[in-house]
Amino acid sequence: MKNLNKILFLVFILVAVISPQTNDPDIILKKVLDEFNKVQDYEVNVNIKVDVNFLKVPDTEAKIYFKQPDKVHFESETFALLPREGFDFSPSALLKKKYTAFYVRQDTIENVKVSVLKVIPLGETDDVILSTLWIDQSKNVIRKIETTTKTNGTFGIELKYDHTNVNYPLPSKMIFSFNVDKMNIPMGFSGDISPESKEKKKDNKPTTAGKVYVSYSNYKINIGIPDKIFENKKKK
Amino acid sequence: MIFSLISIELSKIFRKWRTYIGFLAIAVLVPIIQIAMLVEGEKSINFMTRNLQQSFIFVGNLLNGYLISYAILNALVVHIPFLITLVAGDLLAGEATAGTYRILVTRPVSRFKIVLSKFLAGLIYTNLLVLWLAIMSLAIGILVFGIGELIVIKNVNILILARNDVFWRFLLAYGFAALSMTVVLSLTFLFSSLVENAIGPIVSTMAIIIVFVIISALDIEFFQSIRPYLFTNYMQSWRSFFDDPIDFQDLYKSAAVLIGHVIFFFGTTVYIFSKKDILS
Repeated sequence: MKNLNKILFLVFILVAVISPQTNDPDIILKKVLDEFNKVQDYEVNVNIKVDVNFLKVPDTEAKIYFKQPDKVHFESETFALLPREGFDFSPSALLKKKYTAFYVRQDTIENVKVSVLKVIPLGETDDVILSTLWIDQSKNVIRKIETTTKTNGTFGIELKYDHTNVNYPLPSKMIFSFNVDKMNIPMGFSGDISPESKEKKKDNKPTTAGKVYVSYSNYKINIGIPDKIFENKKKK
Repeated sequence: MIFSLISIELSKIFRKWRTYIGFLAIAVLVPIIQIAMLVEGEKSINFMTRNLQQSFIFVGNLLNGYLISYAILNALVVHIPFLITLVAGDLLAGEATAGTYRILVTRPVSRFKIVLSKFLAGLIYTNLLVLWLAIMSLAIGILVFGIGELIVIKNVNILILARNDVFWRFLLAYGFAALSMTVVLSLTFLFSSLVENAIGPIVSTMAIIIVFVIISALDIEFFQSIRPYLFTNYMQSWRSFFDDPIDFQDLYKSAAVLIGHVIFFFGTTVYIFSKKDILS
């Protein structure tokens, strides 16, 4: 019996040492940041699909440039709608300010075990009140984020990775979820006086759920993107 | 024979200064709207999409030639009928006013051909006016503001059409607007056959259009039930070309109703004119 206890204790120690899983939020976030910092810059083609029930927009093909720590430039030849919150998300942008984090629980996303962390920014001027992160510790990547802001409510981002194509912690797809205020346009502006449109107004909830699907392809990573791309052509 | 009659009628139309009022009005109004849109257009778009801009960043230029042409078409398609009536009201009644009715019908031409040639001349004028509107708003709009995606804002919906998916819609919308204006022409033409002065047909037609449009716009249950029986209800169907998907069934129905009205008004005019006792 004594020997069995010793064996169990040794196994426990061994597992604790070998396993990369930890419950320390600071270590988890540092590993995510270190992994992301392998990417100095990138250029990527994106396809943006907007899904809001009262809004019909053609899919947009565009190009995004990123440079550490938080420079983002968006280029599109056609009109595009970008989610106001979270479109320029990066772990380094999220964690560059002072914050406090704590571990909540284990969870599963698409059969992958993830650690759920809460991150609270410490700055008083920050718009973000609270972010919840679902972190895949086996790859040190964020798989899901839910953020509550002071001004724009809560939004969520799901990140999908295709590591067969890209060996960096960069997503192949991001799904943004948020609430959108419904349209309420005075009749004189739209010129639409048909009664059909009035019937549609019967659904009088003030907001509706919106989603934006962004697919990333053809990553060009660490190619040394010059700063002038971010300076000269500011995001509109 | 009919072609020479039409050319005679056209020369009569284009010899009168009132014919050019419509072209002049469009030539003055459209640039004014374009300048106003250039100055205030961005603000209007921001106001209309303010809810959406809380959730989205807009990248690109929505203030382009297509949007301005769409706004002009929305604004002027209600007023263009007045410019049509100015000429259409004079087509038959003008002969009575000038005292040339008797000379006209004593020529070796059937009364039907006289009415038909006058109507076709009026139709050419109507189409030229709509074409002029298209050139002024679309061609100059594109030249000055360029092309881009077209944002179509209805009361509760927003549709953004890709830039390569807009021009053909405008062509069909202008075509439909021309059909709508043909109804106005034929109604004024009918009234013109009844009286001996052009003022009556102009005022009567405009009164009918204004009353019908007001009834259509009022949000009262009783008026909504009679709405489908008002031809003005179908004159706005050009807007359907800016839907996605386009409800072609509804458009065919609207076009059929409008063509039916043209045939009815024209047929009635032919009947009245052929039975008319010419005294002047």
